[in-house]
Amino acid sequence: MTAPGILAAEHLTKDYPNGVRALDDVSFTIDDGITGILGENGAGKSTAIKILLGLLRPTSGRALVLGQDANADITVRARLGYMPEHDCLPSQVSAAEFLTHMAEVSGLPPKVARTRAADTLRHTGLFEERYRAIGGYSTGMKQRVKLAQSLVHDPAVVFLDEPTAGLDPAGREEMLDLIRKTHREFGISVLFSSHLMGDVERTCDRIIVINGGHVVHHGEVAGFTREMETVFIEVDHGREGLIAALAARGVTASEDAGGLVLSGVDESIYDIVRDALVASGAPLRRMAPRRRALTELFERGGAPA
Amino acid sequence: MSREPLVQGGTVFDIGYQRYDGPREGRQRPRRAVFKDGLRIAFGLGRGPRAKLLPWTFISLLCLIALIMALIAGAADRIAGQGAAERANLPSHGDFNAFASMLLFAFAALAAPELLCRDRRDGVLSLYLVRPLTGSDYVMARWSAFLVVMLLAALLPQTILFIGLVLGDLEPMVYFRTHWLDVPRFLGAGVAMATYLTSLALLVASFTSRRAYASVFLVGLFAITTPFTAGLAQELPGAVGQWVSMFNVTNIPLHVNDVFFGATTELTEDAPARELGSTMLVGWWALTTALATTVLWSRYRRMTP
Repeated sequence: MTAPGILAAEHLTKDYPNGVRALDDVSFTIDDGITGILGENGAGKSTAIKILLGLLRPTSGRALVLGQDANADITVRARLGYMPEHDCLPSQVSAAEFLTHMAEVSGLPPKVARTRAADTLRHTGLFEERYRAIGGYSTGMKQRVKLAQSLVHDPAVVFLDEPTAGLDPAGREEMLDLIRKTHREFGISVLFSSHLMGDVERTCDRIIVINGGHVVHHGEVAGFTREMETVFIEVDHGREGLIAALAARGVTASEDAGGLVLSGVDESIYDIVRDALVASGAPLRRMAPRRRALTELFERGGAPA
Repeated sequence: MSREPLVQGGTVFDIGYQRYDGPREGRQRPRRAVFKDGLRIAFGLGRGPRAKLLPWTFISLLCLIALIMALIAGAADRIAGQGAAERANLPSHGDFNAFASMLLFAFAALAAPELLCRDRRDGVLSLYLVRPLTGSDYVMARWSAFLVVMLLAALLPQTILFIGLVLGDLEPMVYFRTHWLDVPRFLGAGVAMATYLTSLALLVASFTSRRAYASVFLVGLFAITTPFTAGLAQELPGAVGQWVSMFNVTNIPLHVNDVFFGATTELTEDAPARELGSTMLVGWWALTTALATTVLWSRYRRMTP
């Protein structure tokens, strides 16, 4: 029998009273590290997270958190952190006071709560601003407070729901750095939900792709990224000859947007394309790496094996 | 050549993120934290001057009324001789809740929504419910905190009044010996008033995330139903009028006050409900308070599956 991992979903199905099936026989295991849940809005990511947090009961199946049933004993939540996507901060109180309070609500004694609140604010870059009312913070600072409150009680695993939502490019980069730091320096496992493939790829070790309530991909990010990469080639003429030359070298090309798209690429593809161009005599106009859109993956029913 | 350190003496070490392996205090600590936070919100502690203005103005006004009543009684005794205040039937403990009821009701209407509405409006409630705290734990902690606030508002002025009457009397020890029973009476009446207002005001606040709506509804409930039911009860004969009078929300705790002191107040002396008897009046207060508390509790209990 294999170890259950930090989080596990066993044949989870969730039907809402309005007849919508949000999850359909979903199973996965999440181990230590940074795991991304990727899916479009309405794919079932939030439902999966809510079941793992014990906020929803599954219609059937079981969610295991740190080896315990998520709904059996709420004291397991003392070891979980949650950063919701929506606003969740009081405007009137300071970050220091709010974090101290949330640490106590997580079960820490008051003295420890105060110390950990100050430490966590230092690690998330808010130490200098800790006595200002949260209502006066920028969007980026508020996102950091949201992350800080999820870490203040030193959870074993933290759930981050769209943590980069509403951030500018610099703020997004800082938040992704903090998420990487959360696991690599703090030793806290992360479950990171997003609909942005780039954020997940740059941050996560593993990925779970959900679409329409089904898990369509589950594995290492590196493999997923490779499968999602394509090369786009545009030639002035002789496209058919190039396709044949590529096929002769074992590469399948599909026609798209006036050019050719090569899937399942690796480092050697550029040498193969060069040889195929020489052999076919097709004059190259443009060649560029591209990525498949997430919707393409869903249309195909999952990532290539 | 060795280089001299620029600064001699202290050294700052960055010891990095520290894991926490100390005690996590189950559900008790979160309950206490939410209770303590409820007190801080209600009294405006740790918040700006505007948050403090409302509760302390009401409490000061209530205490001022008590102080003025004690001063008038003391002055009457000194001007017209020992026992003049009682001979003139000047208002005392039995009448205080009737004088103060509008202030107490207004205070409950304005302060109770602060404890529940903000958490829902700001989204903080979603953070509480992913910690070792159930919806029932949360609402009962808030209810307890507001009960403490209302007990203070109801009992502190009565205590000041009693001390003032004792000290203002020409023979303080004689007054104390003859009137000490007023203490358990005003304690009982104060507890009845505080529990009733706590449950009713928090119940109304639980239906909306907007504080203003809850406050306006509560003020309307007290200001409109009181004259309406009082007028209608006078027009309707017999038991029907008596039962209509029972729905005067202002008088429900004042009838209990009358039972404790064995006398009516200005607000209850003409109420047909009095004819239903003490047991029915106290039972009606207990039923309405218990019903409001149960509905309030059940609304939050459902938040934890």
